Amino acid sequence: MSKMSDDKKDRDFAEERQIESIIGAEGAEVGHDHEPTSGGVTPGGRSVSEPAIASRTLWGDAWYRLRKNKLAVVALFWIALVIFCAVTADLWVPQLFGDPSEINSVTAMQTKLQSPSLVHPMGTDDFGRDIFGRVIYGARISLSVGILAVGFTVIIGLILGAFSGFYGRGTDAIIMRVADVFLAFPYILFAILLLAVIPQEARTTIWPVVFTIGFLGWPSIARVFRSSILSVKQNDYVDAGRALGANDARLMLRHIMPNAIAPIVVYATMSVGGAILTEAALSFLGIGVQPPTITWGRMIEEGRSFITSNPMLVFWPGLAILTTVLAFTLLGDGVRDALDVKMKD
Amino acid sequence: MADKLLEVKDLKMYFHTRDGIVKAVDGVSYDLEPGQTLGVVGESGSGKSVTALTMMRLVPMPPGKVEGGEVLFRGKSLLTMKEDDIRKIRGNDIAMIFQDPMTSLNPVYRIGHQISEAIMLHKGMSKKQALNRSIELLELVGIPQAKNRIKDYPHQFSGGMRQRVMIAMALSCDPAILIADEPTTALDVTIQAQILELMEELQERTGTAIIMITHDLGVVADMADSILVMYAGRMVEFGTCDEVFYRPSHPYTWGLMDSIPRHDIEEKSALCPIKGQPPSLVNVPSGCAFHPRCPHAKEICRVQEPELRSIEGKHTAACHFAGDPGFTRTEMACAMEVTA
Amino acid sequence: MLRFITRRLIQFIPVFFGVTLILFLMTTVLGDPIRLRFGERAANPEVYQQLRHDQGFDQPWYKQYADYIVKLAHGDLGVSVRTGRPVSDILKETYPYTMRLAFAAIIVEIFVGVGAGIISAVKKYSIWDVLVTLSTSILVAMPVFWLGMLLQIFFGILMKKWTNGAFYLPISGAESAQFGPIAHLILPAITLASVSTAYAARIMRSQLLEVLGQDYIRTAHAKGLSGGRVLYGHAMKNAMIPVVTFIGLDLGAMLAGAILTETVFNWPGVGYTIYLAIRALDYPIVFGGTVVILFAVMIVNLLVDISYAFLDPRIRYGGASE
Repeated sequence: MSKMSDDKKDRDFAEERQIESIIGAEGAEVGHDHEPTSGGVTPGGRSVSEPAIASRTLWGDAWYRLRKNKLAVVALFWIALVIFCAVTADLWVPQLFGDPSEINSVTAMQTKLQSPSLVHPMGTDDFGRDIFGRVIYGARISLSVGILAVGFTVIIGLILGAFSGFYGRGTDAIIMRVADVFLAFPYILFAILLLAVIPQEARTTIWPVVFTIGFLGWPSIARVFRSSILSVKQNDYVDAGRALGANDARLMLRHIMPNAIAPIVVYATMSVGGAILTEAALSFLGIGVQPPTITWGRMIEEGRSFITSNPMLVFWPGLAILTTVLAFTLLGDGVRDALDVKMKD
Repeated sequence: MADKLLEVKDLKMYFHTRDGIVKAVDGVSYDLEPGQTLGVVGESGSGKSVTALTMMRLVPMPPGKVEGGEVLFRGKSLLTMKEDDIRKIRGNDIAMIFQDPMTSLNPVYRIGHQISEAIMLHKGMSKKQALNRSIELLELVGIPQAKNRIKDYPHQFSGGMRQRVMIAMALSCDPAILIADEPTTALDVTIQAQILELMEELQERTGTAIIMITHDLGVVADMADSILVMYAGRMVEFGTCDEVFYRPSHPYTWGLMDSIPRHDIEEKSALCPIKGQPPSLVNVPSGCAFHPRCPHAKEICRVQEPELRSIEGKHTAACHFAGDPGFTRTEMACAMEVTA
Repeated sequence: MLRFITRRLIQFIPVFFGVTLILFLMTTVLGDPIRLRFGERAANPEVYQQLRHDQGFDQPWYKQYADYIVKLAHGDLGVSVRTGRPVSDILKETYPYTMRLAFAAIIVEIFVGVGAGIISAVKKYSIWDVLVTLSTSILVAMPVFWLGMLLQIFFGILMKKWTNGAFYLPISGAESAQFGPIAHLILPAITLASVSTAYAARIMRSQLLEVLGQDYIRTAHAKGLSGGRVLYGHAMKNAMIPVVTFIGLDLGAMLAGAILTETVFNWPGVGYTIYLAIRALDYPIVFGGTVVILFAVMIVNLLVDISYAFLDPRIRYGGASE
């Protein structure tokens, strides 16, 4: 998925490649000591202008590059802001905006379905509850489900990918077949099936949804990890390490992780967006996290009845989803760009 | 006086990039007569390919830009004519074949179609006529069972065969000039010889002029009537084949000749490469572009760009000392220290 | 080519059984199958045991699995808890609507998505390109049901207000007295197509850009072919292969996403039926409907996979020959 930063990178790269391909970057040369030549154009001339303070470690370098990416920084800031609001919600939301879950018919009559104002920045819903406050509480579910589900996926993916890559042969074949089965299920369908089967009483917490969403995504992570292991397995220094007596686990940690971690981090970051969308869809259908827990998806569903009178009920939670998912996607893009040079190695 | 077939006059083409201006072609001139073969020799990045692409207007014009000079084909300016007009010339009067036959053919079209395209476009033949002509052409370039083969796809041919197909495609409209950009570089050595032989044969038959672009002096030794040596986008030496091979007058040309692995020298000597790297075309060295790597370089070489000095007749070289008595290739260049 | 196809078919079989096994495990092991099938009526423990025996749930698991597959093959998806009607009948009535919607959405995806992608690639870095990139990024990040509602608000409600009821689009159901079936199809089709179109445009663009950088495009220009001929003949024919594959595979995601779109627009297709069933706790319909969509997706994916053999001549006709 390419974005603005991707396009800019594409642009520089494409330009260089275009010129390189015309002038000729490779080919046997006459009169050279068989050194690889750059054919006259110095590709990656940007690196010349890197200031001397750039650090030398893998992560330090990547962090530096990430900081330079404005979109990613904004995205990171936004996510941090949302997380902060969600985590501290109990401390300030009810005080300033009233109880988001309260159903008090007396106050409801007076304050319901109001347009945005200073007191209620996003208006109120059909029960007179402040929408802004509810959106903040909804963030809790979306973020926690999103991050936990992806975390779950990563753990399963790493474990199965490790078995697949390390033990090879039969184990590998079986795990990859099972992966194919999982890949046949579209997310929503699998989630609906699984959640339909779990009794409603058990679905008031986020955990069923977390596991359902997290359960499906492991094949991609497992594949990435597995190929990292396979490529490193072929390298000599793993054998050398083994000869020196280092045990398998240590070898893996030391040699495989640095290379494997990068694509997994990128994939995970971008997956959070997808997980949030899936959670919202499930809540919207009514099969996600059950009431009285506040979720963005259900806010939208409940607001449907009032779409003609006060579309604000539907608008704000949707906007919240959009911005949060977009932030994670942009952040993922930024992380990928920052780690890119390393990944290419 | 009849127009010459091709005249390139002081052609300059630069790329404008965000990292600077790449002087890909920096003042190249030569003529071509019908039936002649011109060998253009140089390393990667010397501008030899870009010159040809610029002539055909196949260089994307941002970021490229023609900064000066002109190219006349039978008296008509190629660089300034309308897009429609130059398209009539491409593939028709001037044809080009490229280095890698594997990627130069469209994988999803049959060979017959790809060859026929140009014929139908330029010669107005019907599809059937064009296909028949394609069969003839394939036979001409030595592909057996041509009638069946026109239905095949590129991936069903081997490398050498594919290059023959490219040649067939290029010759399909009887072009006056065939530009061959490193036609044998991507091929096995044995196939290389076959392809070159084929090209020589075809030239005799059809009288096509050939511009053979290569980094390998050996390739042009046999075929070329005249040779142009390029370095860093500039002309470095120009002359007939004999003149350049037997009386090379530029230190770079000497370097090129020294670095050819020879099997006829008695003693076993190490390979003799030219010291250093080809220059970045964004930061071309001052004065003579070759001076940082030239064992004969003096102060003037650093300061002033050399003009093409006439050695004898049309034989020229761009060196301050070219043609000076005693300035000839004596020791192997690699044995000398670089003094610049 | 035959090898390719047979290989794909062979690979499909274990996946098929794997999927059915998972479905089977879900219904019988994870959930409570009796409760799922009969809902409230099974609350009584005696009735429960009786039903358990009747339905064969005290049989060994492999026999149950075999029965399950046989039932699936016969199209027996159980009966609705609420109405007692066979699920398959209900689905038979509703799937034509879903088909119609999906078909319309694919047309949108092909024309708008591919078109936008082409223009984007050809006019690289222009204002158009930027616009397409921005809008596709945003489309992909928004929940599709919310988009549907936004369209409802704008085209159905606001436009009605602004034009005093003269010009607006219907936002509910598949037909009405006022509007023909086509008018009702517009907004849902656009909504359903949105995310897929965004991806299709992206992929078209990147594929086309990649193809345009290839050597054979340069050869085509060198032959004197016109820009249009090069683009639509040589370039597109190559670039379209992965795009067609994507559109085909995405059909699966679209069918799945139909659930959300149909719900928003009250479009009487399979998705809407599933949604209503969720609300009504009518799980046989939920399960049956979802399973049907699932198998449709799997078969489409298999067909798309196989079609690749026909599209790419490198697979259709073997390797090199002298």
